[in-house]
Amino acid sequence: MNNNFTFEGKQKSILLSGIGLGIVCMVLTFFMGDHGAVRFWSNFLHNSVFFTGIAYTALFVIAAFTTAYAGWFIVIKRIWEAISLFLVVGLVLMMVIAVGLWMGYHDLYHWGIHGVADVNSETYDALIAGKSAFLNKGWYTFGTLAIVGSWIFFAQKLRSLSVAEDDYTVGDYGIHKKIKVWTAVFLPIGAFTSSAIIWLWVMSVDSHWYSTLYAWYATASWWVSCLCLTILIILYLKSKNYLQGVTVEHMHDLGKLTFAFSIFWTYLWFSQFMLIWYSNVGEETIYFRERMDNYPVLFWGNLALNFILPFFILMRNDTKRKMGSLAIAALVVLFGHWIDFFLMLKPGILHTQHYLPGNHGEAHHDAGGHEGAGHGAEHVSDAVAGFTMPGLLEIGTFIGFLCLFLFVVYTHISKASLLPKNDPYVEESLHHHS
Amino acid sequence: MAEFRSQEVLYGLYNDEEILMDAVKVANEKHLEIMEVFTPFPVHGLDPLLGLTESRLHIAGFIYGMIGTLTAFLFMTWVFTSDWPAVFGGKPYWSIPSFIPITFEVTVLFAAIGMVVSFYIVCGLGPGVNNPILDKRITDDKFCLAFQTNGASEEEIETLNKFFNDTNAEEVSTKII
Repeated sequence: MNNNFTFEGKQKSILLSGIGLGIVCMVLTFFMGDHGAVRFWSNFLHNSVFFTGIAYTALFVIAAFTTAYAGWFIVIKRIWEAISLFLVVGLVLMMVIAVGLWMGYHDLYHWGIHGVADVNSETYDALIAGKSAFLNKGWYTFGTLAIVGSWIFFAQKLRSLSVAEDDYTVGDYGIHKKIKVWTAVFLPIGAFTSSAIIWLWVMSVDSHWYSTLYAWYATASWWVSCLCLTILIILYLKSKNYLQGVTVEHMHDLGKLTFAFSIFWTYLWFSQFMLIWYSNVGEETIYFRERMDNYPVLFWGNLALNFILPFFILMRNDTKRKMGSLAIAALVVLFGHWIDFFLMLKPGILHTQHYLPGNHGEAHHDAGGHEGAGHGAEHVSDAVAGFTMPGLLEIGTFIGFLCLFLFVVYTHISKASLLPKNDPYVEESLHHHS
Repeated sequence: MAEFRSQEVLYGLYNDEEILMDAVKVANEKHLEIMEVFTPFPVHGLDPLLGLTESRLHIAGFIYGMIGTLTAFLFMTWVFTSDWPAVFGGKPYWSIPSFIPITFEVTVLFAAIGMVVSFYIVCGLGPGVNNPILDKRITDDKFCLAFQTNGASEEEIETLNKFFNDTNAEEVSTKII
C-alpha cells in the first residue's frame, strides 16, 4: 500500500495550465470594458468565497467528527486536512477584495460606496447608515483577518498535531487527546464566526436585505460542495493507486452524507423562501422577486441540480456504492452549489450598480424606500452571459480557481503520509463496514 | 404455522461481536448450516457473512411515501380549489409553497407507519404472538449463534461442540423451542 502521494510534474503542469486559463479569462473579463469591471470583481469574489468556504468546512468536518468519536473517516482525514490548509490562500484572495474596497477599485458592496452613511452626501442611504457600525470597510478587513486568521490557526494546529502523531509510539494517546481538545474548542468558534463572515462577504451584497437563516443556508452549500470535492479527489487518488484503505464502505458513507446534506440545504432554502413568501413583506420579497424575474433558469435550475438530482440519484443503496454514479452526482452537485453562490452574489452586486452616483439617476433618491416596487423591471430580463447567466469566461475563471485549489491541496497531501497510522481509530477505519 | 413446530437447538453465546463474526466465518468455511444468529444490536457486516439478501422493505417504504405525497397534495388541492376555497393571506387558492410542509409530513407518516406494519406482517409479529427466546442475555450483552439439531447424529453434535470450543464461545447449551 503506497501511502506517500507524489505530486508529479505532469499533474502540476496540467493544474498550472488550468490556473493559466483562469488568469487569461480573468484578464479578458477585466478588459471587457463593463463599467467598474463589475463582471471581473464579482467573479473574483464568487470563486474566492466558494473555495475558501470549502476549506473552512473541511476543517469543521474534522472537528465535528473527532468530537463525535467517529472512527470511520480516519483513512480520509489527511484529504480534509490538506483541503483546510487552502484557507491560507483563501485569506490572501479575500484580502484582495478588502484592499480593493479601501482603494475604491470595485463597487461590489453598496455599503462600501463613499459617503453612504453621511447624511449630507449625495449617496446617503438611511438603511445602510443604520447598519454602518458593522457594514464598513474597517470591520470587513478586520473580520476577514481575524476570523479566517483564527481558522488558519486551528487548521495548522490540527494538521501539525496529526502529522506529529505519525512519529509517536503506538499506544500513546497524548496527541490524540490534544487533538480532541483543539477540535472541541474550534466547534463553537467556527460555528459562530462562519455566520459572521457570511454576513460580511455574501449577505451584505444585498445591503438593505437580511435573513437570519442565510448563514446556515450558505454554510450548508459550502458543506455539500466540500463533500462532493472530497469524493472526486478520493476517486482520482484511488485511480492512481493511492488510498487503497478507502473502500466502497467509506464512499458509501460519503454518498450518504452528500445525500443528507443536499436535503438539509433544500430544507434551509425552502424555509427561507416560504417564510418570506408567506409574510409577503416588500423589503424581504425583493430578494426572491429579483431572482425569479431576472434569473428564472438559474433560480429553478438551482433546485433541480441541488435537490431533485442528488435526491433521486443518491436515494438508492447501489448508486452510492457504484463509483460512476457517485462521481456523476458529486460533479453535478458541486457545479450546482457554485451556481447557488452565483445566485447569492451576482443579483445583489448588479443591483448595487444602480446606486452609484451618476449611474442611474433616480435610484439613490428613494434610498431604502420603495425599491421593492418594480425595481426588477429596470433589469435586463434576457440572459446576459456573465451577469444573469454564467458565461464561458465565468466557467474559465471557475476552472482556474479549481485548479489553484487542487494545486494547493495536492501539494499539502504530498507532504505527509496519506494514512495517519498512529491514530487510535485507524484500525476501526480500515475495517469499516456499514 | 408449521415452521414453528418444536425444534432442538444447540447454541453458543459469545462475548463480543468481533468474536462472533470470526465464528461465523469459521462456520462458513466448515459448511456448518447456521440456523440463526441473535445479537443485542445490529452488527455491521454480519448480513453478507450470513448470505442474507438485501431487504426490500425500503422499496415498500418508497411506495408508501409516494402514496403519502400524492394523498396530501391532492387532498389539499381538492379542498382549497373546489371543496372549500378560501383566501389565506392574499395568496392564490392553489398555493403550492404552503402545501409543501404538510405534504412532507404526510409522506413521512405514511412511509413510517407503512414500513412498521409491513415489517410486523412479514415477521409474523402481532398481538398474542409469543416467540421463544434462547437466552435472555441475547437482548443485553451476549451474541448467540444457533444450530438446529433435529435428528442430528452424535458425530454431528460432536463437530458442533468442537466448533464452539474452537471459536471461543463462552457457554454452550441446548434447548427445545
